[in-house]
Amino acid sequence: MKRLDNLRCTLLSVSMLLLVACGGESNPLSEVDLTLDDTQNILDFYAANPELITFSTLDDLPDDLVWENGMEQPEIGSPDAVKGGTYYEVLDDFPPTLRTIGPDSNFSSRSWIRDNYDMTWAMPHPNTNEYYPGMAEAWAVSMERKTVYIKINPAARWTDGEAITSDDMLFAFYFYLSDHIQAPFTTNYFASEYSNITKYDDYTFSITVPKAKPDMAAKVLQGGPAPQHFYKEFGEDFPERYQWRYAPHAGAYYIDPDEIDMGVNIVLHRLEDWWAKDNKYFRYRYNPDHINLAVVRDTAKRYEAFRRGDTDIFRIATADMWYDNLPDDDSAVANGYIHKTTFYNGGSKSNWGLWINASRAYLDNQEVRLGIQYAANWELVISNYFRGDMERLNTQNDGYGEFSHPTLTAKPFDINKALEHFANAGFSQRGPDGILVNTEGHRLAFTLSTHYERFSDVFTILKEEAIKAGLELRIEMMDGASGFRKAQEKRHDIYFVSFAASNEMYPRMWSYLHSDNAYDQAFLEDGSVNPDRKVKPQTNNLQSVAIAALDPLIDEYQDSDDKERMIELSHQIMQIHSDYASFSPGFVQPFYWTAYWRWVKWPEEFNYKFTSYPYELFIHWIDEDARQQTRDAQSSGQAFESHIAVYDQFKE
Amino acid sequence: MFDFNPQTLKKLRRFREIKRGYYSFVILGVFLVLSLVGELLINNRALIVSYEGELYFPTYAPFHPGTDFGLDYPYETNYRDLKQHFTDQNADAWVLLPPVPYSPFENDGSTGIFRPEPPEVAKQHYLGTDSTSRDILARLFFGTRIALFFSLGFMASVYLIGVAVGCAMGYFGGLFDMLTQRLIEIWSNIPFLYMVIIVFSVIPDTFTVTTRILILLSVMVLFSWTSMTYYMRTETYKEKVRDYVAAAVIIGSSNSRIVFRHILPNVLSTLVTFMPFTIVAAISSITALDFLGFGLPPPTPSLGELLKQGTQTLRTAPWIVMSAFGTLVVLLTLVTFIGEAIRESFDPKKFTVYK
Repeated sequence: MKRLDNLRCTLLSVSMLLLVACGGESNPLSEVDLTLDDTQNILDFYAANPELITFSTLDDLPDDLVWENGMEQPEIGSPDAVKGGTYYEVLDDFPPTLRTIGPDSNFSSRSWIRDNYDMTWAMPHPNTNEYYPGMAEAWAVSMERKTVYIKINPAARWTDGEAITSDDMLFAFYFYLSDHIQAPFTTNYFASEYSNITKYDDYTFSITVPKAKPDMAAKVLQGGPAPQHFYKEFGEDFPERYQWRYAPHAGAYYIDPDEIDMGVNIVLHRLEDWWAKDNKYFRYRYNPDHINLAVVRDTAKRYEAFRRGDTDIFRIATADMWYDNLPDDDSAVANGYIHKTTFYNGGSKSNWGLWINASRAYLDNQEVRLGIQYAANWELVISNYFRGDMERLNTQNDGYGEFSHPTLTAKPFDINKALEHFANAGFSQRGPDGILVNTEGHRLAFTLSTHYERFSDVFTILKEEAIKAGLELRIEMMDGASGFRKAQEKRHDIYFVSFAASNEMYPRMWSYLHSDNAYDQAFLEDGSVNPDRKVKPQTNNLQSVAIAALDPLIDEYQDSDDKERMIELSHQIMQIHSDYASFSPGFVQPFYWTAYWRWVKWPEEFNYKFTSYPYELFIHWIDEDARQQTRDAQSSGQAFESHIAVYDQFKE
Repeated sequence: MFDFNPQTLKKLRRFREIKRGYYSFVILGVFLVLSLVGELLINNRALIVSYEGELYFPTYAPFHPGTDFGLDYPYETNYRDLKQHFTDQNADAWVLLPPVPYSPFENDGSTGIFRPEPPEVAKQHYLGTDSTSRDILARLFFGTRIALFFSLGFMASVYLIGVAVGCAMGYFGGLFDMLTQRLIEIWSNIPFLYMVIIVFSVIPDTFTVTTRILILLSVMVLFSWTSMTYYMRTETYKEKVRDYVAAAVIIGSSNSRIVFRHILPNVLSTLVTFMPFTIVAAISSITALDFLGFGLPPPTPSLGELLKQGTQTLRTAPWIVMSAFGTLVVLLTLVTFIGEAIRESFDPKKFTVYK
């Protein structure tokens, strides 16, 4: 038995190590030296960068500005909403840090640490997509000056009670441009997307961008300041120093770091005297007094926790969960304890599909890529696995309204066409296992890598179907970090992934399709393909798309401030990209499913058009009496009216 | 290599007398032999097709496209449909299918939806289907086959290394023994699961499933052979000072002859008693690795993968977890029974009872 024990011990001790690594650190705040002061460095930075940071007076504010305050948008939430109660939610992993910037800060549960209730200067209205004010009181956009002017709401306060001023926005430039935060993406974003910030007075400032674009306002309005007073000790040791300190923001909820049960539980509290609580757009939102966040790592366990009533809302992602685990005739659903809703939302959505790396051997052949398109049986996946609820994606950029291509469609599953294209590429004979081989005896086999384990069944279906067309897909299931790294380093053949765009006005083209992001030097001076070009890692051009004719179109699209011309260009780009066949469009989910206990109340319309999950806007509220009533009813067997609703008012 | 001496024969006789262990051994042996020709029992390829006066044996042959049998598609023939097709046409052709006519990979969504279907004899899904409508019996059978041969290979490799190093340590002793012991102590402290994760993250994806299984096997062996050396070392130390070894030295036997011809047969009983438990450990750990997602690449059938599916569909498809768990329990129980019987029959004190 000794050997068995040894192996068991090894496994056990390793899993213990993993567990320990996941949490259990004590709060190191007590060891931090709080007397440091970074103010002089900030002033030096401002003095050294007069081009970037400008100090001015209200007199210099242009007179011709058209100020908007966004107050004409419809209210958000329901007047029936009642404040109070505790809302129980789950985290799928315990946060490795309370920072939301810097190393390890891009963790999955960070939305509950800040993003879900954070505020920006102004936000797009979830139904109209027009801006309504957040921390700003008014703003003005000047296209010719490439500048957005913002007046801060003087009432706006950080969660710790300090006023939010223009200085905090100036500090944001210092903060985000600093190497100390160790967030190259953000630093690069600030360096490339903004060219100047000017302070006019404590509550008025302007930000200039390098290029005037139709969505220029979004770049500025959907940004926010950084609390200068909180980052007073900012310096080289930022990641460690601020690891477990909770940065103030302008939102409704806050976390007390001392209350955190490390590795287990986090509680959010609503600010009693939140500065925006009577504001038109916020008064019916952020209703629960407390939000209890417990760590439950596994979907099956999260579902069981929901069934027990330990959590209030459960987002259902898969058909088997919706139809088999929680069917409409389930006793809890039929008795009206648990409600189910299908909500059709609008806007751009995750573009699930196969990203084919055109820089790889054989995949650089368009015929092979076309063959793969015809050999991918997404129809079967959608009809038999997703039970017809998903829709077929047609291009990489569906859901952008006029910017999306009106007529392009995805290639259907067609074995004969696939075989035809593979034959054109020299793969015309079937080997003994039914996989095509070319004259040199090379098998038509590619690796399909991904880190989306929840879709693993999809890949086995695609694999089995592709064999019919003589194509072998080797499935490589990776963990999130190493999988995505592989894709970013362009070492993949085919990667299954989606890039979710958060309701941007028009699709991003440059980062996904421009040759600058595919190779170091894709083309020679005369426009021919550079034979020595090297793949460029760490970009989003996962398909290694480099088409000489496409680059000028993308450049013009990038620089254009004319919406009509951009739409035209967008269609042209998508057409060329579709012909290039490096993206096999998969599926898109045009709705989201929600199951919730009957004590969670929602506005009559359930939710807003541009939402991607139910509690995004915090328009729901908790009826604690109904919770007790439901608990009593469960034990006495009393039934309520069942509620299974489809909200298709925004169905496209 | 070894001649069975009367003592060994006596031990084998005693093993036969311990009915529980002996029958377990027979059952497992039969299963192992059957699993070698598993493709004849559980497969979506027909055993025999008679078409236009010719006999086809597709099981181990290169694939037959549908066009070979007068169907209109160029990919692998669906023999279940072919059988139906021949019946419908009343053709002078027939198909003999295996008892379970499904492969462990194909999605058989007869209802048009890929989801777990309960066991149904009429459809010949004797244990039902898994979350993408693959036959559970087929997946269990081939998963068990992989696990069993994996653990046999694991045991053989671990013993080869463990016995060789252990005997050498015990036989040569001295500085060699001390240095090797320290090395083993260091080596055995390297966490095995981390190594599996690290090694798997750097394996090029072009490797076939078989290669990947072999790599997994090597990694596991590499970090598991050490504990065997302790037993072999002490046993060899013990035997080394016996008179017969001294006699062998005096008549001029070489070191390897002494170790392999004289000492090894005498420490065999220690070795043999450990074997079944090594297999149990290997099956458990390959299942655990699969369960955690670090084992065999999908869609390779495996017990761990089925168990994982089962835990996720505990409410909706209990037959998945029941099948996987049941198989694991039966398998591990059989091996443990064999192990107990071996231990008892090799015990020099006849009337002790293993508890």
